[in-house]
Amino acid sequence: MIFRELKELGILGINNRVGRYILRHNKRSNYPLVDNKVLTAQRAEAWGIAMPENYMIVENYGSLKNLHLKIQDYDSFVIKPANGSQGNGIIVIKEIIKEEKNGVTRVLCRRSNDKLMEIEEVKHHISGILSGLYSLAGQSDTAIIQAKIDKHPIFDNYSYGGIPDIRVIVFEGYPVMSMVRLPTKSSDGRANLHQGAIGAGINLSNGCTNNAVIKNQVVEFHPDTGHKLVGLQLPFWRESLELAAQCFDMVELGYLGVDIVLTPDKGPILLELNARPGLGIQIANLAGLVPRLEKIRPQASKNLLARERVDFSMENF
Amino acid sequence: MKKIIVLITTLLIVTPLAMLLYKSQVLNLSLLPQMVDDVWNFHLTARPKGDHTSFSFPIPKPGPGIKISDERIRSKNFEVFIDSNSDSALATWSSKEPIKQRVTYSARIDLKPLLYKNIPKDYTETYPKGLNRYLKMPTLLPEDVAAINHLEKAILEGNEDKTSVVRKIYYYVEEEIQRNTSIKTIHETLNTGKGSPLIKAKLFNIMARRQKVPSRVVVMVRMPDLKSSAQAKLRFTFANEVFLNNKWIPIDTNRGYFGERPDNFMVIHRNYEEVEKIISKKRVSYAIQAERARINRFNKTEFKKEVIKSDSIFSRLSLYRLPLPLQTMFTTIMLIPIGTLVLSIARNLIGIPTFGIFTPILLTLFFKETSFGFGFLFFSVVVLIGIGERYVLDKFYLLAVPRLSIILTLVIMLMIGYSLFSTDIAFISQKHLAFFPIVIVTTNIERLSIMLTEEGLVNTLKTLFGTLVIAILGYLLYSIHALEMFMFTNPELLFTIIGLLILIGKYKGYRLSEFLRFRDLVRQKKKQTEMISNDIP
Repeated sequence: MIFRELKELGILGINNRVGRYILRHNKRSNYPLVDNKVLTAQRAEAWGIAMPENYMIVENYGSLKNLHLKIQDYDSFVIKPANGSQGNGIIVIKEIIKEEKNGVTRVLCRRSNDKLMEIEEVKHHISGILSGLYSLAGQSDTAIIQAKIDKHPIFDNYSYGGIPDIRVIVFEGYPVMSMVRLPTKSSDGRANLHQGAIGAGINLSNGCTNNAVIKNQVVEFHPDTGHKLVGLQLPFWRESLELAAQCFDMVELGYLGVDIVLTPDKGPILLELNARPGLGIQIANLAGLVPRLEKIRPQASKNLLARERVDFSMENF
Repeated sequence: MKKIIVLITTLLIVTPLAMLLYKSQVLNLSLLPQMVDDVWNFHLTARPKGDHTSFSFPIPKPGPGIKISDERIRSKNFEVFIDSNSDSALATWSSKEPIKQRVTYSARIDLKPLLYKNIPKDYTETYPKGLNRYLKMPTLLPEDVAAINHLEKAILEGNEDKTSVVRKIYYYVEEEIQRNTSIKTIHETLNTGKGSPLIKAKLFNIMARRQKVPSRVVVMVRMPDLKSSAQAKLRFTFANEVFLNNKWIPIDTNRGYFGERPDNFMVIHRNYEEVEKIISKKRVSYAIQAERARINRFNKTEFKKEVIKSDSIFSRLSLYRLPLPLQTMFTTIMLIPIGTLVLSIARNLIGIPTFGIFTPILLTLFFKETSFGFGFLFFSVVVLIGIGERYVLDKFYLLAVPRLSIILTLVIMLMIGYSLFSTDIAFISQKHLAFFPIVIVTTNIERLSIMLTEEGLVNTLKTLFGTLVIAILGYLLYSIHALEMFMFTNPELLFTIIGLLILIGKYKGYRLSEFLRFRDLVRQKKKQTEMISNDIP
């Protein structure tokens, strides 16, 4: 059987993920809490979990009319679809330029890749989001204009362009596997593995990277900065894991992907949640998920605190 | 819980199969309608040369190995009389004024090969009066009679039965007389040993009749082979029939058949002597065409009778009770679940990525309703429109739904354009549903251009390729006509498909694509364990 080696390594396949974990542990009615970032933000506020500040929520085309008046007060911002996935439809504006010409103020936005966008283009992009171009099932959507997060200095040598994020797979409240996604030139500054970002596996017990891949291929150095990718010690590691574990209590999804960013000032904050986290994390860690998932006994976790569950995970994985 | 699923799945898969068994073994129903052979669409036009108010031409007549249906004779300005009293049929067109127009005859003709193996010895001495004309000798020059006498002495022994005599004459004419189309009289043939197909048939005829065997020259048309153009005009050719053991046995000295006639020869008249003058090129100009028609390959009508006669529960539930247009629709619709089966296997067991979930099946339907070549071309154009539209309309900042509607409208314009400029108009008018699938697919196409910008060319091509591969796979499956009929005849198999889909749905193992995806992981892991085992001596 050609799958013998995969089975021996305990690799989780898509069918198994869906059939045994997602369908059995994730209640469908709780999906909107993670799929819709507006709802996630509301929940997170109630639970005291930090997330990027939402400047404004655009729900209809009418509120686009005076967009330039509303955004010109900010230095930078991020536009994202509330129901987007895989980072699709996200635009990062790092600078807002105001030009005075013949008494008319012209507002230009500089993107993170240094391209300039007219305000009309920004509006067009938002209307694309509203009509559901980037949403999971193509249904009409809401756009979020959000504070841009700054990069933690630890990543200065490990990231090209955008902000790295930490993905933690949380099963029944226990962090089971984690990786940090580092943007590269070929991923266009995005922390998206499909587009060529680096995925670096993290040792849960100490928060140290132990392996790195680009598109399923093992790499030793960052292709753009040349820094060694293994052995990077992440700051606020325990806090990050506790944050991830708390998200389980918050949305009550047994099989959950938690995306965390490290901010220079506030430490780890929640970026978004995912009810169908991808399987590439196993390649980044050179390890299968199945043995770890099977170690978790959901019944035993009922009365445990997030802190206690993290203790278990740091000890075992 | 698990036991219930196993039970339901087993019931779903096994029950329909048991029903099939019951139908075939107990009710003695066939599981598929009888096959009907491919037929020929036969078309003949003729016009007399000179001024004639009446004009005759042979037309095919049913007989051994030949069935005729849908006969049509154009008779707007003429009176038509068909004389089919003899073994052949002769149509006569007459009018008050000289016939200047072409007359036409068309029919659907089903040809079967004739084969008489082991023809028994024949010692018949007297024949019914009706056969006398097949024993009459034509007038020959005395020297030709002498030459034939001479031949007979050389090849015949004198005391044999008629079957053996005919066989010897056949061997002589078939092997010793060389084919030469410029030699057109018996006299020349006897002198040179060469002859045209007609003369060879005539010589055989004379020699058989001299041995008191009723014999005739038959006029045939050789049907075109599948490779030659359908427009090819066909000519008359000739062979013989001899009356042995109360049966007319086909013999062809030109192509070497004894007691045999392959199914690409159609007899149009069974006695050349009667039509010799009628079909002479001096008197008539004619054109014959024949084309393979694959219509009614399965005989549904017969099967319907069979089902209803069985008077079981199945006869009441059979789809054959539906009106014909509905039947045609359902034969196609019954294939859709098979497509979903292919799709489920491709996506969940193999892991082929596709655009949308049911796009491949819609594409398959589109291919089936039109044709693969055309369908593929049309799909490619739709894809290009989808991508092109985004590049062009991007600058207009249009909202997404109107923009998608624009693509849809463009595709409809393309369809109109095609039907206006295509000579093949019937193609569209007959298949009113043919374009419906592509219209649905169109809505998925814009996702392609989004994917192109967001996930790159390689991933998009992979997905596009995956979609096409599944669509083509489905198309190949849909082209199996027997499968289509089998599903239509036994719709209970849909439950089996549901059972199989449950099995696929319960599959938790790896997809084939994951073998590739995690290949590097496995390799790296192996390297690591090797390094560790090397460290420990």
